[in-house]
Amino acid sequence: MSEIRLQVKNVSKSFGITKALKNVSFNINKGEVHALIGENGSGKSTLTNSLTGIYQKDSGTFILDGEEVHAHNQVEANNMGISIIVQELGTLDGLTVAENIFLGHEERFVRFGIKNTNAMNREANELLKKYGFDRIKANAMIETYNFEDRKLVEIVKATYFGPKIVVIDETTTALSQEGREELYKQMNRIRSEGNTVIFISHDLPEILRMSDTITVLRDGDYIATVKSADMDEDSLKKLMVGREVTGDYYRADYGEPVSGEVVMSVKNVTVPGLIKNVNFDLHRGEILGFGGLSESGMHEIGKACFGASFDREGTVTLADGTAVNDIPTAIRHSIAYTSKDRDNESIILNQSIGDNICLPSLGELENGMHMLSDKKLREFADKNAKIMSTKMNSVDQFVSDLSGGNKQKVVLARWIGKDSDILILDSPTRGIDIGVKQDIYQLMDSMRRQGKSIIMISEELMELIGMCDRIIIMKDGEISNELPRDPDMDENSLISSMV
Amino acid sequence: MAENVNKKDLAKNVPEGNDKAASKEESLKKQQRANLIRTLLPIIGLVAVALIFNILTKGGMWNSRNLILNQVYVVLISATGVFFIMTMGGLDFSQGSIMGIASIVVCILSKTNIFLAVIGGIAAGAAIGAFNGFFYVNRKIKSFIVTICTMFLFRGLIKYIASNSPVAASMEVFNYDLPALKFGITAAVLLIGFIAFRYTKFGMYLKAIGAGEKAAKFAGIRTDRMKFLIYVLAGAITGLAAFINIVKNGSATANVGNQLETQILIALVLGGMPISGGAKVRFENIIVGALLYTVLNNGLTMMGMTTQAMQLIQGVIFLIFVAVFADRQSLQVIK
Repeated sequence: MSEIRLQVKNVSKSFGITKALKNVSFNINKGEVHALIGENGSGKSTLTNSLTGIYQKDSGTFILDGEEVHAHNQVEANNMGISIIVQELGTLDGLTVAENIFLGHEERFVRFGIKNTNAMNREANELLKKYGFDRIKANAMIETYNFEDRKLVEIVKATYFGPKIVVIDETTTALSQEGREELYKQMNRIRSEGNTVIFISHDLPEILRMSDTITVLRDGDYIATVKSADMDEDSLKKLMVGREVTGDYYRADYGEPVSGEVVMSVKNVTVPGLIKNVNFDLHRGEILGFGGLSESGMHEIGKACFGASFDREGTVTLADGTAVNDIPTAIRHSIAYTSKDRDNESIILNQSIGDNICLPSLGELENGMHMLSDKKLREFADKNAKIMSTKMNSVDQFVSDLSGGNKQKVVLARWIGKDSDILILDSPTRGIDIGVKQDIYQLMDSMRRQGKSIIMISEELMELIGMCDRIIIMKDGEISNELPRDPDMDENSLISSMV
Repeated sequence: MAENVNKKDLAKNVPEGNDKAASKEESLKKQQRANLIRTLLPIIGLVAVALIFNILTKGGMWNSRNLILNQVYVVLISATGVFFIMTMGGLDFSQGSIMGIASIVVCILSKTNIFLAVIGGIAAGAAIGAFNGFFYVNRKIKSFIVTICTMFLFRGLIKYIASNSPVAASMEVFNYDLPALKFGITAAVLLIGFIAFRYTKFGMYLKAIGAGEKAAKFAGIRTDRMKFLIYVLAGAITGLAAFINIVKNGSATANVGNQLETQILIALVLGGMPISGGAKVRFENIIVGALLYTVLNNGLTMMGMTTQAMQLIQGVIFLIFVAVFADRQSLQVIK
């Protein structure tokens, strides 16, 4: 049973001044699902990326079945029997499904320098059929499929050749329930074949359910390897955070009446192809949740209310009668927005933390002559970064050096600095660890009590149930249900109106 | 079991904390040193090149400093506009043609009124800039493609107008060929540009667009309007430079402004400008770069280099600078 498959020995890796991995050593066995957990920036992805050749480790060794392996790229890793399914999109546009599946391994179909496309498509179709993904066609271009189906193609790509180790890096957050089940099935199959899955996820119940063994990392340090059967959520959290997670995770109050004062009124809003005829009012001091499947159009609601949708019809009106039709108007009238696509839409990666925080508030920071002073900008950035307790060396550091949770803190610091009254938070805790999550929930609760209004769009039903005064469920671009805050609400009552 | 681990971890944390702080400081220093090299290299380069050529020409270069300064003005002024464009991640290859058309306009209008000629030059430059901006922003074509097209388009027009005989300006323009005036205009453009770039929203917005356009848009910047206006502005600035050009030359030939875009691009890169723009650009890039380029060019000429040899040397130096200043930060994403 516990035959060792992979030995991780003293592996270290730094990025500039950040030490992502510090002398990490542990073993991974054959025939197990081995989970890697830890907060953002704890080094989980860095470790698996070093193993699969996406990064090059600085020192240390990986020993696979008694032999040292050192992959320089993913294809080499594949040849050694190691494959990976990454968090973001791992398939390439402009290639067919079959070409994506066999990327880097085309030589199998090449005779005398000519690729036999038919043979490749035939084999890909057989594989897709074997996995039960018949609806995906091998000769179709990959971009004709949605995110979910492309992830399924990636699953085929990473597992068809029976690798000894498959790394699954936070893939489940991007998948719907159906896609997750598909992935779980493959994980169980790999385990039953005596091979190993390294599973990275932020979803602790999922970790406990799916894995045999769990290794915890914190700030690049190895903390512990434990048996899943011996653990529960709280003991895992304690290991990850390094302290007891105390107090209420979500907000604790129930039955508090919400003000009748409408701060934003959304009427007949339609965005062609995404949402149809959406109507709702947002009240003062209210947290209004939007839930649904990823493709339900709920993410577009946030953009529509922020004036960021292309081709929007209908009206978004504020209490003073202002119509919100573009982003500058929205920001001027104290609306804040954080996007699900944090790295592209919420934050400028290749810019300093300070500039990112100051950007929307420059109008208020300039003096009567429209001049900005470095000192004032710095103080403003420092103050707001500190309020969010952002982990950083200084505000001059580039955002690209930060972990996901800290990036989100910078985004929130920006809007706290702007003192926005209406916050539209799309997936505010996506890919963020518990410690920071709890900070964000507490921040939302205190904003609510200050009379600020929040629209929270999320794929995590538990946080909607825990945080919102009211939850609107979206389905196929339309509002399908609306539920008030209720301590007895459970996920199933929401799911039934989602699908 | 969990408690065991925690204790072990607590014990470990104390010495590690110090260790971590020390190594962090060390690597911070390392990064600062790298930044310092990036900042200083163009200045050191300028001083070194100036020294070497002065020694090699036995002071000949210093004696002809006025001649060299005379060449620097036009590049300095027009590079300011292109600097703004490149900061937001765009390129402009039509600068030479803008210079050409604006020079012709200045020549023609100078016969009526000198003041009108200056305004006309600026307007002509701005109009071509608007043409670039329209296709870049509204038609969503990559800026280097649009500006290469306009480069050929307006170069064709210039050749059509000025091939048979150069367009001569009124003799009056030579009255304005005063070093003080040329220096004054250049200094004014640079000073206004510097203040706007360094101490107002304008510069922050440009850098934000260059570093991440989509996120800049979501932070409330009217990115499309900004991009369009910057092309108009760059055209207008080069239109102003055309006046200085005509004051110096007295007429516009079919080759007027030829290759200006390359000169500007090389000057900016020599000055340490990352070719992708973004947060790391500095206004000093313009001045150091334009001086370095002109000194290098003149030095090589004075050394009696052939044009071919000069191009070869310039190419090598250009490549080295691009390699040093390329912004590779974007490749580094930690999760």
